[in-house]
Amino acid sequence: MTWLKRRVRPEQIRELSLLVLIVAAIVMFGSFIDGYYSFRTFNRIASSVAIITVVAVGQTLVVLTRNIDLSVGSIVGFTAYFVGTLIANNNGINPLLAVAIAIAMGAALGVVNGVIVAWGRVPAVVVTLGTLAIYRGVLVDLSGAKTVTTDSLPDWLTGLPLVNVTPIGNLDIRPLFVVALVIVVIFQFGTTYLSFARRFYAIGSNPEAAQLVGLPMKGIVFLAFVICGALAGLGGFMFLVRFGNITVEAGRGLELSVVAAVVVGGVNIFGGSGTVLGAMLGAVMIGTLEQSLFRLGISEFWLDAVLGLLILLAVASDAVILQRLRALWGGADLKLVARGADSGAGEQSAPRP
Amino acid sequence: MRKLLMGAAALALLAALPQHARAQDAMATPGKAVSMVLLPKFLGILPFDQAHKGAEEAAKELKNQTPLQFLGPTPQNSVAGQIEIVTNATTQGVKAIMISNNSGDQIVPAAKAAQAKGIKVVTWDSPIPSSEGEDVFVAQVDFSDIGKVMADMTLDLTGPGGGKFAILSASPDAANQNAWIAAMKTALKDPKYAKLNLVDTVYGNDESEKSYTQAQALVDKYPDLKVIMAPTSVGIVAAAKALQDEKLCDKVKISGLGLPSELLAYTKNGCSPEFALWSFVDLGYLTYYTAYLLATDAMKAEEGAKFKAGRMGEFTITKDPTRAKGLRVLMGPFTVYNKDNVEAGAK
Amino acid sequence: MSVLDRLKGWETMMLALLCAIVALNSLGSPYFLSVGNIVNLFQLSIEKSIVALTMALVIIGGEIDLSVASVMGLAACVMAWTFHEGAPMPLAVLLALAAGVLAGLNNAFWIARVGLPSLAVTLAGLIGYRGVARILLEDRAIGGFPDWFNTLGQQALIGPLTAAILIFFLLFLLFAIILHGSAFGRLVYVVGSNVQAARYSGVRVGLVKSALFVGSAFVAALAGILYAARLGSVRGDMAEGFELDVVTAVLLGGVSIFGGKGNLVGVGLSLLAILNLRNGMGLADITGNTQNDVIGGLLILSVLIPNMWQDVRNKWKGRET
Repeated sequence: MTWLKRRVRPEQIRELSLLVLIVAAIVMFGSFIDGYYSFRTFNRIASSVAIITVVAVGQTLVVLTRNIDLSVGSIVGFTAYFVGTLIANNNGINPLLAVAIAIAMGAALGVVNGVIVAWGRVPAVVVTLGTLAIYRGVLVDLSGAKTVTTDSLPDWLTGLPLVNVTPIGNLDIRPLFVVALVIVVIFQFGTTYLSFARRFYAIGSNPEAAQLVGLPMKGIVFLAFVICGALAGLGGFMFLVRFGNITVEAGRGLELSVVAAVVVGGVNIFGGSGTVLGAMLGAVMIGTLEQSLFRLGISEFWLDAVLGLLILLAVASDAVILQRLRALWGGADLKLVARGADSGAGEQSAPRP
Repeated sequence: MRKLLMGAAALALLAALPQHARAQDAMATPGKAVSMVLLPKFLGILPFDQAHKGAEEAAKELKNQTPLQFLGPTPQNSVAGQIEIVTNATTQGVKAIMISNNSGDQIVPAAKAAQAKGIKVVTWDSPIPSSEGEDVFVAQVDFSDIGKVMADMTLDLTGPGGGKFAILSASPDAANQNAWIAAMKTALKDPKYAKLNLVDTVYGNDESEKSYTQAQALVDKYPDLKVIMAPTSVGIVAAAKALQDEKLCDKVKISGLGLPSELLAYTKNGCSPEFALWSFVDLGYLTYYTAYLLATDAMKAEEGAKFKAGRMGEFTITKDPTRAKGLRVLMGPFTVYNKDNVEAGAK
Repeated sequence: MSVLDRLKGWETMMLALLCAIVALNSLGSPYFLSVGNIVNLFQLSIEKSIVALTMALVIIGGEIDLSVASVMGLAACVMAWTFHEGAPMPLAVLLALAAGVLAGLNNAFWIARVGLPSLAVTLAGLIGYRGVARILLEDRAIGGFPDWFNTLGQQALIGPLTAAILIFFLLFLLFAIILHGSAFGRLVYVVGSNVQAARYSGVRVGLVKSALFVGSAFVAALAGILYAARLGSVRGDMAEGFELDVVTAVLLGGVSIFGGKGNLVGVGLSLLAILNLRNGMGLADITGNTQNDVIGGLLILSVLIPNMWQDVRNKWKGRET
């Protein structure tokens, strides 16, 4: 047990508590809903969270550095729309090229954010509130209020969500979910094992120390925004694939869902702790709640009220579980870093009597 | 004697003439400078662009010296934005405001203020429910008829055996959709539709994403659902894609109100074999003519007023039977689209 | 170091900006400087402006309240629903205010007592309170309020000013006094700049934060009621999305998102600037979308340009020594 206490911190097994909550929710829903445990439900939830998950991975990186990117919804809409228009006008385009363009477009928008935050020293919330409006505005102005229609898109694009990636027996897993999973795995391993990636955590948990140690603060923050933009661009492509019909309003409000996923997933909004995996679990938690509540027969008009309550309970129980774990761990030998990393959910790092 | 008789006959004829003239249509005098505003629910979707096209066509015909202002809010700020635009237009002293009302009765104070300043307020596509602050409503079709058409299309798609169906609407506060759904529910009382069973009404808020997931949720919750009726151009397309992605187009059909150009693929592949719409271009054209005539005092907004609207012919202002109060100009028929005429309609 | 010194910098910049905007507007449209238009300018966004006042306090205190727009909607719906069910209007208004206080207490509990981050809690509130509003009203719109109520929202009360505008000015004075002239105001700054130090100094941080959130929700409820009076009817989606504009106005007013910095004068000036800018653009027939572009750009430039200016000055200083 002491071995465990020395090697692993409570924050690192926070994902476990979230996973437990998700399983509990699924079991509860399953007992009320017939036919809940099926691949259809799985795919339903998986597809709806796939896009949010990919964007949330990028958002996690940004939040780790003590910033935030509120413009992701506009980036998703922007890339979905323009890549969609591009494909509609050039039906023969190479699919991989289209994906690359989407990612590059998102990255370019992320560059703008990153430059202004890192070198302009403008707070991220200010910049991204501004670019949220500006990117959306440019989209509407340049698009001439047309809609990208599925009719104009090539079959490989519109048929993509239907493809069964694992035609083994009864397994039915769809591509969008696989993409999200791959991204999560890549970034989870990256942030855990790449020493370069640990810099994101360092900057967020203790900026002064990071500066003293000589970390290239500006470069790292810039990189976080570029990656976030790139992933939002990928999310935009996935959006195009999933919905086909893209209006200039695409992605509006997405940033809210992404931040909710990140927050529920235990990524500390003050930076320095939280994982990509946690963000994904946060997205899954919210997605499960959303998808299942309707099946439960809860009236359309009760859904949001119940959802708000459940998100609150999820965050609260997560914080409580974490506190219990910390109490369990206890001991001076684990007070590794100053206030920053251990702030968990904010204030309660001050010792409670 | 003859002269007297001729005189009397002429007099009698003259006496008869004004009567005939009173029944004559109001004609627009082209070439005036009338500042008008066309205000859709929000900017960014095709139906409203088409209405704009129609209005511009009318503007050209009428040789209005002042160009038409096409202003609209963003979708998420639709209500506050419409109120703001009406208020600003009142400040600028325009002659007429043509609004597709997304703000329910919340636009009434602003609309009344506009009327107080002598501005003509003409609604189109979606009226002011209480009709206060509104001079006349240019209705694309009769709202009760929409209910019947939707019920008919549902019966067509379920087949004579009937079955379960659901409604996927736009925003829960959209006046026109709510009126159409109410009309449909009334129409369904007819024994002809006895076998149709409306199981649920959900809202997609005119957002592709929400409409898509709502459609999916519907087929999850009601496995033996046969038809989804979506009287919203954004919702119907998203729902069709959702069903296509679920490979359910054989079991569940989509219908409702949608644009042929957007539904082309789905009609051809059978997901949405039948749907209906009217011409938004014509609606914009007619609305412009109505507003121009009112603004130039060529006619008054009162019951019985007749007028000629360019290429569309003759129209009469009548009482609006679908609302407690209010006047309307009824445009015209639907077109029901299926695989035979959808390509032509998509042009 | 005087009041004058403290007012330098951001506020002066905002003032200059405001003058520029007003000048541009007067040139751009002959209708701009009419009394009616100036009143409209305020009226069209008065509820957001009222909420911005408490939002400023909350952000200075180091927190954020994303649920304000939903509380506005909730209060309006509670009022409309109870009125529709037969309650006399004054009672309905009181119940609406009570709903706001309850929402605020709920926020305060989870944030100050349990210790959850305000972003998470008020985000849940944004979704949840709107949901409760929807439960009450579903897809209906409720109107038909008594004349005295509608007049309150729509007609001029004193001179050309409506009740809402008067309330805004009153609240502005009140909060300015609270923030800059009272002990509580000082506590807000302290809690916002360094909450640990505040705690260890014996400040009742929990109480301060609770007061902020309850106050924020109460004022939001009031704003919701005023909004309903102005519009003459209530829908479930009232005030949806307002929180973004409110936060933008506060940040543009020089309040730091990290807490502890900023003042109400700056927020007042930024509100004036934004309202004038939107009005001027509206009169020039610039659509809401482009307006958002401009405000977004303004927000970024308002911080970027002073920073760059600072850099240039530092470079010059470096050269001189």
